Amino acid sequence: MAGVTKRFNGTEAVSSIDLEIPTGSVVGVIGPSGSGKTTTIRMITGSLGATAGKIEVLGDDPSHFRRSTRERMGYMPQLFSLYPDLTVGENVDFAGSLYGMILFRRWRRKKAVLQLVDLWSVRNRRAGQLSGGMKRRLELAAALIHEPQLLILDEPTAGIDPLLRRTVWDEIHRLRESGVTSIVTTQYVTEAEECNLVALISSGRLIAYGSPDELRRNALGGEVVEVTMEGLYDAAAIARPEGVHAIRQTGPRTFELIVEDAGAAIADSVPQAFAAGGTVASVREIRPTFEAVFADLVNRDQEAREAEAAAEAEAGSKGKATSGDQSKAAA
Amino acid sequence: MGLAKLVVRILSIIGKEIVEVFRRPGAVLSLILGPFLILAVFGLGYQGIKKDLNTIVVVDPSSQLPKDVASYQNLAIRGLRVIDVVPDRAPAEARLRAGEADIVIIPPADALAAIQSGQQADLTVVTDVTDPVAANYAGFLAETLASAVNREIYKAGAEEGQDYAITIGGKDLSNVPPEVIASPTKPVLENLAAVEPTIIGFYGPAALALVLQHMAVTLIALSIVRERSSGAIDRFRASPMRATELVAGKVLAFGILGSGIAALSIWLLVSFLGVPMLGSPAMVALVVGLLLIASLGLGLLISVVSDSERQAVQLSLLALLAAMFFSGFVLRIEEFQPAVQVAAYGLPVTHGISLLQDLMLTGSIVQPWQLGALAGISAVLLILSWGLLTRELRPE
Repeated sequence: MAGVTKRFNGTEAVSSIDLEIPTGSVVGVIGPSGSGKTTTIRMITGSLGATAGKIEVLGDDPSHFRRSTRERMGYMPQLFSLYPDLTVGENVDFAGSLYGMILFRRWRRKKAVLQLVDLWSVRNRRAGQLSGGMKRRLELAAALIHEPQLLILDEPTAGIDPLLRRTVWDEIHRLRESGVTSIVTTQYVTEAEECNLVALISSGRLIAYGSPDELRRNALGGEVVEVTMEGLYDAAAIARPEGVHAIRQTGPRTFELIVEDAGAAIADSVPQAFAAGGTVASVREIRPTFEAVFADLVNRDQEAREAEAAAEAEAGSKGKATSGDQSKAAA
Repeated sequence: MGLAKLVVRILSIIGKEIVEVFRRPGAVLSLILGPFLILAVFGLGYQGIKKDLNTIVVVDPSSQLPKDVASYQNLAIRGLRVIDVVPDRAPAEARLRAGEADIVIIPPADALAAIQSGQQADLTVVTDVTDPVAANYAGFLAETLASAVNREIYKAGAEEGQDYAITIGGKDLSNVPPEVIASPTKPVLENLAAVEPTIIGFYGPAALALVLQHMAVTLIALSIVRERSSGAIDRFRASPMRATELVAGKVLAFGILGSGIAALSIWLLVSFLGVPMLGSPAMVALVVGLLLIASLGLGLLISVVSDSERQAVQLSLLALLAAMFFSGFVLRIEEFQPAVQVAAYGLPVTHGISLLQDLMLTGSIVQPWQLGALAGISAVLLILSWGLLTRELRPE
């Protein structure tokens, strides 16, 4: 995706997104509800056309997908869109036949995918009688039946219990091992850890894109090392050692260091640098939760936008004043 | 390979639609038995006879006319039942407004004097109805009544004239009975139709056409609107399914379903309700097929323009209402203005009713162009809705 924008009646739902997804990776599109995740996904599936920018999926422009390209893609929509009066098996069978799968292949795959999502035992039950979690699993089975190379899953883990969520992610990882590329949207920030790459979207803007570790580093400015001293210690009072980007006091005896490489810092430089002011009790690397990383990135983006808006407003008012002076001078 | 996949996709839509319909036993029962039961109740319940209108005759006390109920009953006017003869108009009209009487007749006080002075005497008929059909019927009865009274006057004159020589064309008619002179002709009705069907026999094919159109329109319209609201259309957009396959699958599915229901309904109508079946079954099947395809085209069009299930139901009901009024089911199409007639012929059911009635009741099609019209309507509606659906399946 390059500079992709989508407007609905003049309102920008997605703003100038650039995204490149490597083959065989699991990409998590993460963001709060209404942030533009589904719009992005629907542009990738070809359901929505982009207002501006360029999208290429499996070598094709989604607004003119060839059938053969569509056959290589699997899509699981956010809402249950299968048929409540058909049984679990019939729904999966129908999904397979949409991709032109012949009967024998459908039968074989139907059993495999229903066993995978643990619905084989209820294959003769009508879909309308399933629980919310079972419906999500049925949707997943329907998206997988034709063995797609690119799997687009819109909130596959929403509304299902943690154990099944684990199963879904295990299946996504298994598919990755067999070369399937997955694009997964989720509201669960913690699920970012499951992905090779994470695209953080907020208010229709891509605010960060990279591996989970890269995003952590981007959010915090480096890796985090927590140092605990044996006695009271004021970290601000001493000079910042080399290789330490920032120091943040978190308790009377503890402080955090933002360093380039946590491993190297723990091994030698940090204990020595702080030993002069007291005895170092412990040094350990901290991996902040992804909620914290996400909040940090969103806040930082918000601040940047506010600053940008303020600068624009200031430039605008200066411009007006200048043109006013020029008008006076001309008069 | 591509053709095989196309067939698989179309078959999947056909199978899905048919299974979905049969998964709702109530719906299946109402689809098959509904039309038959409605016709059965209609046929058994409709008497085809209008209730006699309760009539009050106002006779001026100074008039020579009889003042007893029996004398007027003896006139034996079909459709009128004289319940009272009163001297004043006002109380009679009050009873009319109160619903006690349906009609008030005020014969001329001195008809003979009026005739002798060379003027027509007024025979006033008063009603209090808003229903235009009932008003027309009252007018018809008034005409009949006037004719009967005229006949009585002629008859009295003829009786009186028999003492004199009455001649027509130089022939003496003094021996001809007065009622023959008063009413020289009497109607003898002969019908060239192959069968004279009962009410149910006549309306059976029409009701079948109406039910088939409504069923086809509703089923296909709701099917697509539901898929849109559930998000299934989004799934189709992301899949290799094309609008052509979707339309073909839906039309075939509901066409097969409708044909089955039509076959069963015709068998029930012919076997149990005595509806005549003089035409060839193949021609009837052709007409039913064309009617179903055209109706499915109409339903598709409704589904494409509807943005909710409620709107689709409303538009389907409007189509049914239009069919009731303009298809010739109740009122003859020839009775409408030419512009409205053109619109009426745009409805599939108009041709369906006419063709099925012709085939089943006379054994042949009187206006073969209607087959072409039905095929034309099918083509136009299907192409139009296919085009709109293709646009809908494109990226938004």
